[in-house]
Amino acid sequence: MKRMAFPLLILTALAVAQGPLEKLKLALDHLRGPAHQGVYLLQVERPGSVRTYRLKVYADGDRAHLRVLEPKSEAGQAFLSLGEDLYFYDPRLGRTLRLPPTGRGERFLGSDLTYQDLLGRDLEELFQVGEVQGVLVLTPKPTAPTPYGRVEVYLKDSLIERILYYDQRNQAVRELKLSAYHRLDGAYLPREMELRDLQRPGYRTLLRIAEVQAGPVPERCFNPLYLERGC
Amino acid sequence: MSLLKLAWRNVLRQRRRTALLSLVVVYVTVAVLFLFGFLDGYGESLVEAYARYVEAPVVVAKAAWWEDPDPEHGLEDFPDLTHPWVQAQSPRFSQYALLRSPYRLEGGVFLGVDPEGEKRLSQVPYKVVQGRWLQGPGEVVLGYRLAERLDVRVGERLVVETGKGALGFRVVGLVRAGVGNVDFTGVYGHLEDARQLAGRKVQATHLAVGVPKGKEEVAAKALNRILPQDLLAKGVWDLMGPIRADYEGSRLFYVPLMGLFMVLAAIAVVSTTYVSVRERLREFAVAESLGLTPARLAGQVALEAALTSGVGLVAGLLLGYALLWYTSTHDVFGPLMRLSVELLPEAGLSEHLYTSLRPVYALYASALVGVSALLALLFPGRLVLHLDVSRYVKGE
Repeated sequence: MKRMAFPLLILTALAVAQGPLEKLKLALDHLRGPAHQGVYLLQVERPGSVRTYRLKVYADGDRAHLRVLEPKSEAGQAFLSLGEDLYFYDPRLGRTLRLPPTGRGERFLGSDLTYQDLLGRDLEELFQVGEVQGVLVLTPKPTAPTPYGRVEVYLKDSLIERILYYDQRNQAVRELKLSAYHRLDGAYLPREMELRDLQRPGYRTLLRIAEVQAGPVPERCFNPLYLERGC
Repeated sequence: MSLLKLAWRNVLRQRRRTALLSLVVVYVTVAVLFLFGFLDGYGESLVEAYARYVEAPVVVAKAAWWEDPDPEHGLEDFPDLTHPWVQAQSPRFSQYALLRSPYRLEGGVFLGVDPEGEKRLSQVPYKVVQGRWLQGPGEVVLGYRLAERLDVRVGERLVVETGKGALGFRVVGLVRAGVGNVDFTGVYGHLEDARQLAGRKVQATHLAVGVPKGKEEVAAKALNRILPQDLLAKGVWDLMGPIRADYEGSRLFYVPLMGLFMVLAAIAVVSTTYVSVRERLREFAVAESLGLTPARLAGQVALEAALTSGVGLVAGLLLGYALLWYTSTHDVFGPLMRLSVELLPEAGLSEHLYTSLRPVYALYASALVGVSALLALLFPGRLVLHLDVSRYVKGE
């Protein structure tokens, strides 16, 4: 027992000693889950209308390949995120386009989520991280390309529970909630994401994982040449 | 009695007829003066807007950039622009960008400038209504209407994204220039930031060049003679967008229309003179029998027409120039122009339009008198030339 107590104490001490940036990094690592493939449901709510997309997703934590299965009118569109590079295949054009790095801030499929929310690590790269009463408080680095004045990240057991984006007038403008974390292959994956536009009532986007299967993803899924035909 | 006195006496003898004819001439003279004053004023306001706010009096860039204004066709180094007409020059870096605030995303053109150089060339730095003009990198100055649309205020952050990079800027000032392109779409940043956003090894996309007012086109031609072959200088008229076609179209439409008005007014004068001559054929026959030659009588008819329209011309010039003076010193067209700027924010229109006031308009308007006299000589004059004196003297 005594032998066990010492390492536990060390780990606890390390966790306590962890700085805000490390906490954020760890939380972001948990956010993308292990290598997996699955079917995600994306529900885009607008005042008076709701649109639902079914997406096939292949991800390995760093890279992600998303294909639209439904609705039929938009089926076949595919997105591939490889670090800084973002590719988009449009079946109507019959072409794969490489989006500029700034394209990561664009809205995904007209929803309130951006590619960055789904795939990126902007919070770590663009902000200075501090901690106030257990909440990570992020302020933009000088000349960082973010329009937000402050971001608050609420953690629970090293997992992100809520991200609140503030404008520069200290007014919350955007809220991302993550819930139903699923332990999968030794890692975590939030099964539900909810994003609300706090400036516009009735604007909400829900992302739910309908099916998920952990395990290695074929390497071809992360090749832009396979965006058109699928992997 | 001289012919002039005789003609003048006849003009005064039929005061009501003379007054009515003069009124027609007054109307046309005022219309001619006002139209030319308005069109020239419109042209001058466009030149002022493009030369001092939207573009520059002369712009030098690579020929390829004029074809495709992409930073890849920018200037790697600056050419020597030593010429007596070049008063100032400043590099600019223009590129399409996305502007992102926490609330809105707008497309626009980010113009990287040398803050001090710009003060020598453009009026924009002097039109800052809130905050201040640029001092260094990391700052941005916006048109006040664009800032309203993006909902950003002085002191707040704005993200500028291009296909090659993105940067966060602090809004340090808002400009209100009264020119659509500046107020609705103006985004001014430091040249160094523009280079960083473009991610290319180019110094600038073009050079803005200051030359004396009115010499823009000649100066551009003179510069083209000394510039390397791959560079091309354009004067302010060539820098205007579709609004130039609107202006030239207006001239093409209204000037012939005014010509038609003048001919119609001359016909009105001459037709009335014709009736007057027909009524006075006996009088002309008596005059001819007393020794006046038919040619002098025809001259008298032409002189009467010229005097009648001349009276109208003088009154019209007085009235027309008074109107032009007023509209050239008072912002009468302000509400109309502000509405036009709202409708066409990127046309380079100015919120103010003052008419032009030039002596040459009097010359254009006085053509009416000449045309009236000429037509009077041709038509009523011919009646007098072919007068059967004995028939009219007998009173048949």
